Amino acid sequence: MTDRIISELENAAGIIMAPPNVVSNEQRHAAESIFIDFRKSKSPYPICREILEKSQNHFVLFEAAEVLKVAIIREWSFLLDSDKVSLRQYLFEYITTREAAPFVRDRILQVLAIMVKRASIDDNGKERANLLREVENLIVNAEPDKKILGCNIITNLMQEYASTVKSTDVGLPWEVHFKAKKQFEATDLKRIFQFCIYLLSEAVKTDPPYSESMLQLTGYLLKITENVLTLIGIYEAVYEADAAPALKLTSSWSEIIFSPVLLPLMFQIYWKVRDLEQLAHHSLTCLVQLASLSGGIVSSDEVRHKYLHAYIMTLLNLVSNVTIKSKESLGVSNIVRKLVIFFIHDMPKLPDGVMDTLLDEFTRLTCNFSDGAALEQSSEEDTYFSDAFDNMLEAWSTIIQEFSPTENKLAECSKRIFNNYVQCHLAPPDGCRQSNNGDLEDIEDNEDKDRSRYKDQLQTIGVFGRVVPSHTLPLLFKLLEARIEKLVVQLESMHNRAMNISEAASLDNIFEDIHWILLISGHVLCMDSDGETPMIPSEIMQYSIEQNKRNETTLDATIKAIVAVESKVQTPPDFDQCDHVIRIVFNVLKLCIVEDYAVSITLGHFLSPEVGSTLMWFLKRWCLSYLLPVENYYQELSPTLIGCLGKDTDCAKLVVKYVIAKIQSNLYYFQSEPILLRDTVDLFCDIVCVKQKSTHIINTDSMRNLIRLHQEMEPGTLPPNILRGLFKGFVLAGVALQNPADMNSYYEMILTPLQQRCKSIVSQENFTRIFHEEKVQKVVIDLLECFIGIAKGSQMASVEILFCFLAPMLSELPVFLTIYNNYQVIVQLILELFGQCAKYMLCYLSPLDSKRLYESSLAMVQAYAKCNTGRLSTEAFAEENSFQDLALVLDLLTFILSKDCIDLCANANNEEINVTASDVSLFGLNFIMPLMTLDLLKYPSLCAQYYRLLVLINDIYPEKICNLPQDLLRTLLHSVELGLTNFGSDIVQACLDFVQGMATYIFRHKLLNTPFAEGLRPFLKLIMDLTLSHQINSDTMSSASTCIYSLMCCFQEDYQMLAQSLIDMQSDPMIAERLAAAFTNLTSLVAMTCDRQPKLRFRDNFEKFIANVHGFLLVK
Amino acid sequence: MGDIDDTHFETGDSGASATYPMQCSALRKNGFVMLKSRPCKIVEMSTSKTGKHGHAKVHLVGIDIFSGGKNVKKYEDICPSTHNMDVPHVKREDYQLTDISDDGYLSLMSDNGDLREDLKVPEGEVGAQLRADYDAGKDILCTVLKSCGE
Repeated sequence: MTDRIISELENAAGIIMAPPNVVSNEQRHAAESIFIDFRKSKSPYPICREILEKSQNHFVLFEAAEVLKVAIIREWSFLLDSDKVSLRQYLFEYITTREAAPFVRDRILQVLAIMVKRASIDDNGKERANLLREVENLIVNAEPDKKILGCNIITNLMQEYASTVKSTDVGLPWEVHFKAKKQFEATDLKRIFQFCIYLLSEAVKTDPPYSESMLQLTGYLLKITENVLTLIGIYEAVYEADAAPALKLTSSWSEIIFSPVLLPLMFQIYWKVRDLEQLAHHSLTCLVQLASLSGGIVSSDEVRHKYLHAYIMTLLNLVSNVTIKSKESLGVSNIVRKLVIFFIHDMPKLPDGVMDTLLDEFTRLTCNFSDGAALEQSSEEDTYFSDAFDNMLEAWSTIIQEFSPTENKLAECSKRIFNNYVQCHLAPPDGCRQSNNGDLEDIEDNEDKDRSRYKDQLQTIGVFGRVVPSHTLPLLFKLLEARIEKLVVQLESMHNRAMNISEAASLDNIFEDIHWILLISGHVLCMDSDGETPMIPSEIMQYSIEQNKRNETTLDATIKAIVAVESKVQTPPDFDQCDHVIRIVFNVLKLCIVEDYAVSITLGHFLSPEVGSTLMWFLKRWCLSYLLPVENYYQELSPTLIGCLGKDTDCAKLVVKYVIAKIQSNLYYFQSEPILLRDTVDLFCDIVCVKQKSTHIINTDSMRNLIRLHQEMEPGTLPPNILRGLFKGFVLAGVALQNPADMNSYYEMILTPLQQRCKSIVSQENFTRIFHEEKVQKVVIDLLECFIGIAKGSQMASVEILFCFLAPMLSELPVFLTIYNNYQVIVQLILELFGQCAKYMLCYLSPLDSKRLYESSLAMVQAYAKCNTGRLSTEAFAEENSFQDLALVLDLLTFILSKDCIDLCANANNEEINVTASDVSLFGLNFIMPLMTLDLLKYPSLCAQYYRLLVLINDIYPEKICNLPQDLLRTLLHSVELGLTNFGSDIVQACLDFVQGMATYIFRHKLLNTPFAEGLRPFLKLIMDLTLSHQINSDTMSSASTCIYSLMCCFQEDYQMLAQSLIDMQSDPMIAERLAAAFTNLTSLVAMTCDRQPKLRFRDNFEKFIANVHGFLLVK
Repeated sequence: MGDIDDTHFETGDSGASATYPMQCSALRKNGFVMLKSRPCKIVEMSTSKTGKHGHAKVHLVGIDIFSGGKNVKKYEDICPSTHNMDVPHVKREDYQLTDISDDGYLSLMSDNGDLREDLKVPEGEVGAQLRADYDAGKDILCTVLKSCGE
């Protein structure tokens, strides 16, 4: 009988492994199904043993081990203890005495590990201790390959305890896992560690080169040691992003960890194996982990100091004697980073000399890594040094915060690192940047720019720079001045004759230098201010004050410099006494003038748009912090800075004039550079959106010039999206005007020309005949862009005026949409405009104005629907087109609904309102749902948006959903069903939320006899099936359980029937019995009231239920 | 309603040029452009540059507006963003379908009463649907695309 089965399996294995031309598809399927059936066999222990004994076929052997694994997990609790022990012993013997193929052996080891782990839950690890004893014997006394096997057993065992993802695989709930692991940690893990350390201390006595077996064994030992050090705490850190959790130990580890030989031993091993690639990494990870020692083991400050001291002495010994190679740089930098994280407060207590040496070594390493990173950038292969450099910077930013910056040592380190960084980014002779040999590869614009790619790096370099401003600011302005001078010389010579190749390369170098100096200066002078008020950093303010006190700078000389920007004078009078911040800015503004000069002598096409962009970025950053500072934010003010940048100073007006003039010239001269223009418009919007500042900007001639410039431009000259940015800025600026009359007249100046243009188009008699002419379309597109900008720039103070202006146009737009329904660009702009109005204006609008917006939106969606329902097209990409349109419509509907969540309108007196947000949304939804085909939903963003909208509507208006007409309801529920089964887990989550919300609503309002409830009924079975068949992942499981609970409350009879039918389906009475018991436990003590408390209890029960049921229930 | 984009020949656009120039950077996605002498709709548009300090170039992917169904003709071009590109005049007009003749020609009437009978029923699914809807007596509006004399 068994022989027959074995030969059958062997035949089948032969077919599966055969090359495709020998066997037919049917044969293959038949063979596969033999194995599938085999996997399902109950109590397969005798047969598997027999297979292991008799078969020579590796594939069959592997399958036998696999079947054992599955069966053990499923049937563990029914097995007799004696059977378990005998099976375990048999397997242990099997692998120690037979030559099995590696993959068979590994699977058997896994079975063994699972058995040991399951047993340890019941017997507190007695079995495990026995096994370990046997393994230790094996390792100490046996042949080399048996030693390796021993290591393998330990590794597998540890893996079984460590794994978190596989937890449901072994049928244990999470807590039990956790307990088992804690127990393992407390007893045998330490023993394993000690054992490894002992063996390693033996191994270290011999020097490389090692024999092959020695190499392998040491490798295994290091891997186990590494695993021990990373395994601890892995559960606790499951939710943390850091890959390797800290080494958190209890005091029971003191003796081992604080043994005076441990650290020297670990470092010594590393030193010996650092050239052996397969060992070095594991050894280094051990060191990194040891640098993060924490937990109960470091019981007092004294213990911590001592450990830190010991660690640092061994570390210094290593790093000061070897040159760190690229691959190890990452590990070493991680050691530094961890030491700083865990021991920063102990560092000041290190003996004097040690701390200084340590900082010196850190500095040296940082500079080395920085150099290495620069080389890596030109080769673009590995990023070891770059990552290591980032780690060091992270450590430094903590160090600088912790230590007083006046400390000389720190200043010296900062200076060295700062200089090194600057050098790495400058071309020779000043720096050591690798030239890319005029390599003109294409760079896509969606690639990150340096300023975002190296943001973190630059921020820390900025911190270094502010530690020693007396060094960095002069360095930066000198570098900048030299580059500008070179640039001017070059431009002048190009003006006279053509450029040769070496000059082209050197021009490129100048641009790259300037680009980096600007980036660095921007980070030294200003701090990132996401969401905070940008301020002048106190170090810089202090520096400027002291300079002034010592008469090194004077206000007079500083003002002269600002005045001199425009003049042709190379060096302004008394330039030496100019404030250093202003001197950098003087150079930046000078650079703007040089760019304009280049354009004026028709050399504009030789300029670098990249540098232009960086200039805009610098000015934006700088203006936000420095220009027109809000004085009462500061405790102390530098007389030079406030004297030439403060409000009401002529000098500040000059700076505003320069900046706006540059914005204007960019818009005028660089229309073909979309990225540069985007940065330009960003600069504009940001400087006018601070009220205190834009008060002083709005009434200037420069501003009026800018407005005029736009009005004189031909429609369609600027790239898409630039015009709207410009108008956003114009509109934002207006809020600064306190006096309503001023505000009105300002907005009139901006808006009236638009209004006139709009009218002049629509009022043309033959508009319906000429609308498709290009020049008409261009104007329409331009106008829509402006309107979108206006919507985006709306604020509470200005919304009334702006909406009053936009509303008449908005009400015209449905007609426009019908006219232009065949011109997608315009259709999409109209859709977008409504979306933006809903997003930025609606929340401030009065009920009456809101109503106007709802009405127009509704009319617009209706118009769109009319033009697109039932539309067929022979056009290619029709689907892609409707995707873009629908995404915009969904946006609009979602934004409109948000009015019901966020309403910031001041006077919310409820008048008679007959159109509400929900009407618009629901109408839109009615129209959209039939269009949401499965094909369209395959666009992930559209899909997410659609389901988000469904959930939102459901949250706010469940009653409206309940009253939807039949066929719509069916479509709606159908799309929810699709969402549960066809897409990613975020969509599943949304659908579960939807169903839960609806079920709760139905239950609370006793709507069980409505068609809607009927529609919802099938979801109970659907979601139950999905969870039982592992189709809902563990993240969404808790939502699934609360969803099931709500449905159960509604349809209790259905639930009973469902449970009963599941039980009846089981052919094995024992399983049926267990399932019935599991169902009973599931609902015990849970009241079916749809309230929070029982819901939470049900959720916990459900988690246990699923873990339990997955163990024995085979659901396909 | 049915929407048809079909090809047909017209004799000249009363002598006016079929295209007009536009700066490359001002083009828009979903707008039109001439690629390889064919009127195209821009389906993809991205910018890149040659070297870090180089100038912007625009990468355009367009599909021939008169191609459809199974033989979509896709064209690409990359050009400095300062260059002018030719943009075709594209006109889309709606016609009421009044009849389908035995030999497969459509009778169409524009809003202002102009009649034309020079277009055939398009091939494939859309054509079949069009006939079915017409036979069922539905009101049908056809959109006809016209550019570069086609």
